[in-house]
Amino acid sequence: MSEPLGVAVLGCAHRPHAWSYARALASSGTARLVAVHDPEPGLGHSVADDFAVPYITDAQALVSSPDVHAVVVCSPTARHRAHVELAAAHGCHVLCEKPVATTVEDAAAMIAATDEAGTQLHVAFPSRFLPQVRRVKEALDAGTLGRVIGVRAGNRGRPPLPPQYPAWITTPAESGGGALIDHSVHLTDLLRHLTGQEVVRVAAETGSLLWDAGVEDCALLSLELTGATVASLDPSWSVPANNPWDYDFFLRLVGTAGSVDLDDVSESVRMVSATAGAGLRLVGFAEDPDATMVEAFVDSVLRGAPVDPCASGVDGLRSLEVALAGYRSAADGGCFVEPASAE
Amino acid sequence: MTAAVLRVGVVGAGMIAGCHVRAYTATPGVEVVAVADPRLPKAEQLASTVGARACSSLEEILDLDVDIVSVCTPPRTHADLTVQAVTAGRHVLCEKPVAGSLADAGRILAASRETDVVVMVGHVSRFEPEHRAAKELVDGGYVGNVAMMVHSLTTSVPTWSEGGWLTDPQQSGGPLLDLSVHSFDYLAWVCGSRATRVHAVAGDSAVGEATYVVATVRYESGAMGQVEASWAHPVARGFKAVVEVTGTAGRVSWDYDSINGGAMYLTDGGTTWFDPLGERGYRGEVAAFVDAVRAGGPSPVPVEAGFEAARTALAAHESLRTGQPVDLTSWAGR
Repeated sequence: MSEPLGVAVLGCAHRPHAWSYARALASSGTARLVAVHDPEPGLGHSVADDFAVPYITDAQALVSSPDVHAVVVCSPTARHRAHVELAAAHGCHVLCEKPVATTVEDAAAMIAATDEAGTQLHVAFPSRFLPQVRRVKEALDAGTLGRVIGVRAGNRGRPPLPPQYPAWITTPAESGGGALIDHSVHLTDLLRHLTGQEVVRVAAETGSLLWDAGVEDCALLSLELTGATVASLDPSWSVPANNPWDYDFFLRLVGTAGSVDLDDVSESVRMVSATAGAGLRLVGFAEDPDATMVEAFVDSVLRGAPVDPCASGVDGLRSLEVALAGYRSAADGGCFVEPASAE
Repeated sequence: MTAAVLRVGVVGAGMIAGCHVRAYTATPGVEVVAVADPRLPKAEQLASTVGARACSSLEEILDLDVDIVSVCTPPRTHADLTVQAVTAGRHVLCEKPVAGSLADAGRILAASRETDVVVMVGHVSRFEPEHRAAKELVDGGYVGNVAMMVHSLTTSVPTWSEGGWLTDPQQSGGPLLDLSVHSFDYLAWVCGSRATRVHAVAGDSAVGEATYVVATVRYESGAMGQVEASWAHPVARGFKAVVEVTGTAGRVSWDYDSINGGAMYLTDGGTTWFDPLGERGYRGEVAAFVDAVRAGGPSPVPVEAGFEAARTALAAHESLRTGQPVDLTSWAGR
């Protein structure tokens, strides 16, 4: 029986995600949550204390610790690069929150840094780990559904506004933009993962229509892929107040030999309670894909190579390129544009 | 005001004609007196269900002193038939799409503007009970300012059309003109704003090119809409609608998977699903039309609306051809 893999959390700016990954590490049989860092002590403690691990103020000291072999990076998106480069320089493997970065240059530098260090760079796309997505992937790989003709997919959420959410998420210099970059990368990644195709053309409409968030809260992206598959993605922060759920993910796919309609909202029980806010709530009971993803990351590090279906830094870069192409399209009258490749 | 029993002639005897005939029959004070189809046996079959006369042409129907003509033929024949009936002073309910080309749609529009008769386009979605409920909620302010809309109609390839005209894109315009035209009309109506820009992407299936389509529409108000249409789905999946209207104050949404009127299971294995929608949309559409005819107007779905829905669908086709969005503030067809 080998020692559990020591993993640290580097940055808690994506607090709900950092917390969820920390929980997965704390309850893992193969990993050990060593410590948590964030420049903001209150935020760092809010995660570290919940799992009874130290809060560390100095990121460099943390990745230098002989106990830390891997890190989970959840800093603001524009600061991912600094944390990933720091981790790589100290030989740490990285699971990086999505979107991987706000620029193609940063993402490419993160890939180069981990490549040079001989460490793994994973990007957190938990949707790949949903059991129903894995079933679709198996069916597609087996040819059961034929060639994918078209996909309509969505990942909608509540607006990530203060005070519940930190201001950086709606600050383009830190986050890269609004709903489009925040949620479309999940959907683009899933599309690439399921079809094995790359996106060749993107058209997008965006709008700041709902929340006065200072960034776009509504977006629709149309994609054309290398294998003639087309897709329309809805990454909007369009979940209204009092909605019975907070986030959704859905995928409706049609292939030449069959179709799939799936969502993660119907896997829930209905609740109405005098103690739980207004009206109906749908309380999900899905398996936690975050935990499955973190386990797969740990497993990849222990095995010395990424295991299926983990997403790589390149996967993160590709979905970022599509999001950035979406912004260029939206700024240019919704014209179709090609995603710029880093190569 | 028209007090007497209204006499109706239906041109066309296909699938939609049957819906019209049954809806008129369910409407008080209306009588279907004739059904016309170039294939007389087909006309006879439908006419016999309501004791109407079978004819082979619109001329024969007009000679029977009808007050109302329902045009239920393939879209490329709509302009000739509708203009002829309107010119003869008859009220016309013209199936959607109002026409298959902007030129034809323009002829119908011009005729409707030069007449006092009621000319209505059969955008039945506006009369489907769940669509109507949603429109009333939006109008009631429950959604606030409309921002995001989804209208998705997905099914397998239609097999019922005479000679397969529906699946011939030259004759039907494919799913954009057959299915999405409903969506374009409904979304513009529900958000109360004109479409200003559209782009589309499409995929090919075994049943034809561009038989899976998603169009993205931008509206004058800033709202946007995602319109999906498919003939590429398996037959076993049936016909599914998914609709969402989201605004600054809330969301109204529904889909056919969650609308269920009950089910009856028999020991011998038979199962009957109670469809709560059925043909209520057609009954509502025809009732509104007949009411408008009696009241002397206005048209419940004016030709202007049908023209705009068809123009949006044709512009989406143009986007597929050019690979770029189409500016609807200026686009007047190819």
